[in-house]
Formats: sequence, C-alpha cells, structure tokens
Amino acid sequence: MKASNMTNKILPTLSMLVYIFLWAPVIILVLFSFSSNRFGIKWESFTLQWYFDIIGNVAVRDALIRSLTIASITIVVATIAGTIAAYGLYKYKFRGRGALRTTILLPMVMPSVVTGGALLVFFSRAIHIPLGYLSITIAHITFCTPLAMFVVLGRMARIDWSLEEASADLGADRLTTWRKITIPVLLPAMIASAALIFPWSFDDFIITYFVAGVGTTTLPIYIFSQLRFGATPVINTIGTILVVLPIISVLLMRFLQKKK
Amino acid sequence: MENREGIPCVELRNVVKRFPGVTAVDHVSLKVEQGRIFSLLGPSGCGKTTTLRLVAGFETLDEGDVLIDNKVVNDIPAHKRNCSTVFQTLALFPHMTVEENIGYGLERKGVAKDKIKKEVGEVLELMQLGGMEKRRPSQLSGGQRQRVALARSLVLRPKILLLDEPLASLDRKLRKEMQTEIKRIQREVRITFLYVTHDQKEALTISDTIAVMANGRLEQVGTPNEIYETPRTRFIADFMGAINIFLGKVIATGSSQEVQLETADGLKIIAIKNKGIPSEEITGISVHPELIDILPEGTDLEGDNKFRGKIIEMNYQGDFTETRICLNQVDRIITAHLSNEPGQNVRFSLDERVLLCWNRHSSKILIG
Repeated sequence: MKASNMTNKILPTLSMLVYIFLWAPVIILVLFSFSSNRFGIKWESFTLQWYFDIIGNVAVRDALIRSLTIASITIVVATIAGTIAAYGLYKYKFRGRGALRTTILLPMVMPSVVTGGALLVFFSRAIHIPLGYLSITIAHITFCTPLAMFVVLGRMARIDWSLEEASADLGADRLTTWRKITIPVLLPAMIASAALIFPWSFDDFIITYFVAGVGTTTLPIYIFSQLRFGATPVINTIGTILVVLPIISVLLMRFLQKKK
Repeated sequence: MENREGIPCVELRNVVKRFPGVTAVDHVSLKVEQGRIFSLLGPSGCGKTTTLRLVAGFETLDEGDVLIDNKVVNDIPAHKRNCSTVFQTLALFPHMTVEENIGYGLERKGVAKDKIKKEVGEVLELMQLGGMEKRRPSQLSGGQRQRVALARSLVLRPKILLLDEPLASLDRKLRKEMQTEIKRIQREVRITFLYVTHDQKEALTISDTIAVMANGRLEQVGTPNEIYETPRTRFIADFMGAINIFLGKVIATGSSQEVQLETADGLKIIAIKNKGIPSEEITGISVHPELIDILPEGTDLEGDNKFRGKIIEMNYQGDFTETRICLNQVDRIITAHLSNEPGQNVRFSLDERVLLCWNRHSSKILIG
C-alpha cells in the first residue's frame, strides 16, 4: 500500500472513531431522554413525558434560577473588573507589572480542587463569610475575572491607541474619552469575555461544591445529587437541554452574522 | 483669526525632551509663521514627531518653553490647547460615522446640534466628501479617510493644525494628489500647518518653510529653494538628494565668487559661492545627480568640472536611468542621471568608459 493511500483511508477512519467516542455518550443521553424507561438507561418507547415532568419540577427550576443568577452577577462583575485590570496593566508602567499580571492570571491554570479548597478555608477561617450563595458568587467572580482580563488584554494589543489621543486632541477629557471611545472600542472584547464566562460559571461543579455548604443548590450540584440516587430520566432531560441550547444559539449567531 | 504681524503662531524656545537613553529633542528653537505651511523634515528618529507632540501636548518637555499665539502652554493639557492633530494612523473612530467623527470636537465644545450639522456640512463640501456622511471609516478609501481626518481637525478652526506624516501610508499617485489637496485647503482656510515628513520631495512640494532635523537638533531652516540650492551641511545635502559629496578646502578664489576646492584625494572642483560666505568656512561641495552630464569618453569640450570614469551600475527609473560611475583618477563613485527621453540619441552600457561634466553653478557649497 502506498503511503498516501494509507493516509487517505486510515486518517478519516481514525477521525470518525474519535468523534464517535467523544459524542456517543452525549448522543445516547439525548436518545434516552425520549425513552419511557423509568431509569432512562434503555430504550422502551418514545415519550415526551420526562420533558413535561421537568417543567413542573420545582427543585430543578430553583436550581436553574440559582445558576443563572450567579452566572449573571459573575458576568457583570468579572467583566468590569477584568476590563479595568486589563486597561491598567496595558497602559500604565509600574514596578511589578509583569508579576501582577501573572498573579492575576494564575487562578485560570490552577486545578479547581486547589482553588476550591483554598477558597473554602478562606471563607470559613479567614474572613468568616457564611457558605452559601454569597460565597459561591464570590468564588465564581474570583476565577472568572482573570478570564475577562485575559481576553480584553489580548484585544487591547491590537487596537490603535492614538484613538484616545485623537479624542483628547479634539477636546475630550479623560472620562469622556473613556466613555465615548475606549469602552465602545473594547466592547467586542468585553462581550466575548461575557460569552466565555457564562459556561465557566454556569457549568462549574468542583469549586462550587467546595464552597456551597449545606442546602445550597446550583444546577450542576442538583444533577450530581440526583445521580447519587441512581440514574433518572431527569438527568437525561436536563443534559439534552444543556447540549441543544448552546448549539442552537451558536447556529443562530452564525446565521445573524451571515446576514450582516 | 488674524494674527498680529510678526507674532509667530507657534514658538519653541530652547526645548529639550529626553527619553531613557536618548535626547529626542535637543535645544530646539524655532518660530512658525502664522498662516503658512511649516515642515519638520528629517530621517526616522530625528525628533520631528516628538517635537510635534510637544506642541500638541501629548508629551511634556524637560526644558524650555512652547508658546502658542505668544502664550506659554507648557502646563496646559492636550485637550485644552487650541491646536488639532492629524495622526499618522488617522485615528478615525471606527464605531462612528463620518459626520459623527467630524462633529466630535464640536460636540465636546458644547456647540448646538443644528450648528454642528451646518459646520460639518460645510467642511464636507470643502473636502469634496459630499454624500459620505453616514459611512463608517471602514467603508472609505484611503484618500477619503485622509480627508475625513483633515476635516475632523479643520472644522474646529484651531490656531494650528499639526500633521504627523499623514500621507505615509498612501501610494505614490495618491500621495501626490493629496499633497496638492493639502496645499489648496491650507490656502483656502489660512490656518497655520505644522507638517512632519521624512520625504524630502513632499516637503519641497508643500512647504513654505522647511526645518531639517537630525539627532534631535535643528540643522537648517529655510525656504524649499534655500534648503535645496544651498544646503548648509553634508547631511542636509545628502538627505535632499545631492548625494555626490566632495569634502575639501578652498585653494583658490576668483573674481565673481567662484572658488576652487581640492579634496583630500586630489580632485579639484569649481563652484560658485554666495557673497556672504567666507571661503574659510567652506567644508565641501555637493552636486545633484541630475545636473551631471554623461558623455562619450572621447568628447572634447570646454567645461568646469570634467572627470573620466567607468560605468559600474545602471538602474532604470523610467524617465531616467540612475548611473554610477567609478572615476579613473581616484577611488570614488559618482551618481548621475542618464535621461531616457526620446531625443537622447547616445546610449551607454555597463562597463563603458565615459566623461562626466558639470557646470560650476551646479556645485553647491557646504559649510558644516
């Protein structure tokens, strides 16, 4: 067999196998969410019953609202803090600048269990914040702000900063320049950060679990607690929704972009 | 906006600006005349842009004074100075339309909305940008963006317009068109222009006064004619294109201001000097390539400066061919331009032996 022949046949086959391996669990999850089996682990007959059940399920609804609320607050605070940090680090020269930047970016690369454990000790021993939704939100802001800073900092390197000088030259003071020129120009980067922060916060399990304490439930924590009781169709249903929704929104965004 | 006679629009008095490791502006003093185009010309890193930024207020000076309209402005921040800058990158606000860009400065001044619309409309007419109001900068051509940048600054009627190599990113043809445009606009609005460029042809085309800078210092200030015809130093001569430089001392003088200079390697060159310049101060002579004639080796003619040599390089440039000749007499290379015009019936080729000749009036005196 010639070398090119091998790559022509083997490479696509290999890729297909990898894709199947990655997506099989998800596809099975989606399929079984429509199965009438009570445990959601094998196929019996087609039903939408579990989806109707979810709507009335108070626990799921509460957990979902919690996760969305925490994610929303996190997005707003982390994006603002991250943008301000990026601006300061990019535009001003001071001693320890490089070290500060590395330190702020550190939580992004630290293992979640380390971050979670450290925050748990911090909340319960160092500053005595009760574990609950407040501690979860603070924790999320802590590990999402570096992400916002990273994205905005990257974008700042590609902006023509004489725009700010031009604004000053035309008579705008610092605050007006910031408001009318700097923020609008940084807005795409800020929106990109928000789009990245949302899954980071919404999906987070490990750090959230560490600092949640007793009785506080986000959606990932709810799903995990349900698993303890064994497989249930609720997991399949929620999982399907959480997979399909992002896919739809990405497709929608691409469709809107093409229209432009 | 009429200025009192004699008061310069902008003045620099012994200005110094240092950056870590380098003195970017080294004791520069100059006066920019009201209502004219004044150019700062020099190679990259000579301090011309820094000088401009000191006038604009984007840099703070270390020593000396900057005066606008006879008032010291050292401590006045950029957004309060009565000058406007056209940046090299143009810095058009990408998220605003053309009319929002142009109206930005007027908005900051608190001008009423309908007045803004009127002023913007007028300046769009002046810049021949009618119909482009609602476009974004990304939807404009290079030349149109230039004009929007100019309009944005001009609509504020500043005391002085500062231009930092505004045409640097344009192609040759567009550059030439815009140079004419800029001159036309300046004559119409009669605002003082302070123009930074590294292109000596551009400076010659548009300036009323040129200040040549090198290494943070002013080398010479004068009209384009003065800078071109009587460059003071070797650096200026070379920068302006008179790249044939002969350093030496005057060994003889004649009745009508003619001098004979001898170089270290024994070449003797005849030139004409200005009445006001003493011979002792003359350090050399420069000659523009286009003023040197190339003739067949055996040509017999009367002439001031005649040298024989061999052609070692020819670069076709369209209407002329840049030709480099190595002299027989000494180890020196002269650059001359060979005309490619249709009337020219003598052709030369590489390695051919030729006679070079130029008139004493073509030799330009150097004194520094």
